[in-house]
Amino acid sequence: MICELRLKLILATFWLLLLVIPAQAAKMVADLSQSTVSITGRFHGTDLLLFGALSGRDGDDIIVIISGPPIDIAQRRKANLAGIWINVDTNIWKNAPSLYQILASRPLSRIASSETLTQLKIGTSNLELRITSEKPEINIPMSSDKKLSSSLARNMAATGLWPTQVGNVSIKNGALFRASVNLPANILSGTYDVRILQFRDGIVLDETSANIYVQKAGISALIYDFAHSYSLLYGLFAVAFAVASGWIAAVAFKRN
Amino acid sequence: MYVYLPIAEISMHIGIILGLGGGVGFLSGLFGVGGGFLMTPLLIFFGIPPAVAVATEANQIVGSSVSGVLAHMRRANVDFKMGGVLLVGGVLGSSSGVILFKFLRDTGQIDLVIKLSYVLFLGIIGALMLQESIRTILRSNRHGPKRGKLHQHNWLHGLPFKMRFRRSKLYISALLPLTIGAFVGLLAAIMGVGGGFIMVPAMIYLLGMPTSVVVGTSLFQIIFVTANVTILQSVQTQTVDFMLAGLLLFGGVIGAQFGTRASILLRGEQLRGLLALMVLAVCIKLGYDLSIHPADIFSVELLK
Repeated sequence: MICELRLKLILATFWLLLLVIPAQAAKMVADLSQSTVSITGRFHGTDLLLFGALSGRDGDDIIVIISGPPIDIAQRRKANLAGIWINVDTNIWKNAPSLYQILASRPLSRIASSETLTQLKIGTSNLELRITSEKPEINIPMSSDKKLSSSLARNMAATGLWPTQVGNVSIKNGALFRASVNLPANILSGTYDVRILQFRDGIVLDETSANIYVQKAGISALIYDFAHSYSLLYGLFAVAFAVASGWIAAVAFKRN
Repeated sequence: MYVYLPIAEISMHIGIILGLGGGVGFLSGLFGVGGGFLMTPLLIFFGIPPAVAVATEANQIVGSSVSGVLAHMRRANVDFKMGGVLLVGGVLGSSSGVILFKFLRDTGQIDLVIKLSYVLFLGIIGALMLQESIRTILRSNRHGPKRGKLHQHNWLHGLPFKMRFRRSKLYISALLPLTIGAFVGLLAAIMGVGGGFIMVPAMIYLLGMPTSVVVGTSLFQIIFVTANVTILQSVQTQTVDFMLAGLLLFGGVIGAQFGTRASILLRGEQLRGLLALMVLAVCIKLGYDLSIHPADIFSVELLK
């Protein structure tokens, strides 16, 4: 008896919730024109279209954060020793995003306060990265050394993998959004996370995510896999190919 | 059209790759050198990671040396016995070079060691070549060439394990070519070159080999040293980019043919003088880069 009553109560609550939730927080949906990117023999970077629907109104903002597969980054510092500039120390940033891109509908500072952005880990200066170095053993958070962390962001920006420029997101009638995602030619293969945040009056209203899968394909994949899986055979093959082409060239040009 | 280089993991315009291959190939055909000392710094300049540039260039030199040595074999300008002793040393030296290369790469000092080796050895060789060619040009303008002694005897000829090299008309200790082979092999592995520009003067001035067999013999042993480097780098560091090497080779063999034809237009000492200037230019450029304040004292490398 009691069991049945409880079941009815749960069902009633469930129906009530279904009626209430859509009105308060409609789920934002997003998709990409292409979720798989193939690095083929002629790959030179690519543009994807990120699009979706939100339930919002005019004046709502969107911030998109794209982060690439985590990787360790060695950061080296040069100093002048006896007239020449040499690398004197190395710090390793652990599990840093190999690509970090931000797209937004307005300048970030107009969308949310810097405290909010810090809290949401938006922007290269708000990434919670850690350094480890062999000697002496240190493990310091990114925020504690402004000089090292800003150099990291600057150096990574120069590679094109952490662009400083915020890309554009356009919103139509607070209901549809679209943005162009540019993946540079030097991206690594792996899974890329796309985080999409909807802001209203400086606070997050809704959040959704998507993934981009980047992989080598065709001749690039063939050569890369061959080099890594059968490295001795690959070396022998590379030598044999060079010998053969050198020999063919010598024979071909002798005739002339 | 862009080509994605699967090992270097960057994309490069095919025109740049073929242009580099063809241009350096032309110069190597013109001057009778391998061209590694130009190609490796150029590849690094165009954004190829140094480790990939060095290993891939070794692979390319295998091909260009094969094509060069066949031409010398037709004229019987290869001392196989001498080449054999040199390459035993060369394989030992280059194997240690590959191990040293990996160690230096891990400690972040490989760029420095590559550049310092270039500055030092290109500087020495370039200066010696320039001096020699200027002297020859001046002398030939006045009197005509003087004849020197065939061999100069010194303490090097007193070393044990003497061996007879008929083609080179030499009876010297095998330790001498073995040591030279090992030293040049070590440098070749680290610098991403064949080492001909050090090997050739060493053969002439240290071993006293006749100039006619020097280039052919040097090319012969370079094939084995660079093949050894290619295989060891493939196994140890996976940095040989087959796509890049193949395209460079394609541009290179064509460029070399034009270079060889153009070389007939110039006299030997003029060619050597020009080569010396080019060697010195690379040396000065790299030395200058090391000495000026870098644009950014920090640099990053993605570790995989």
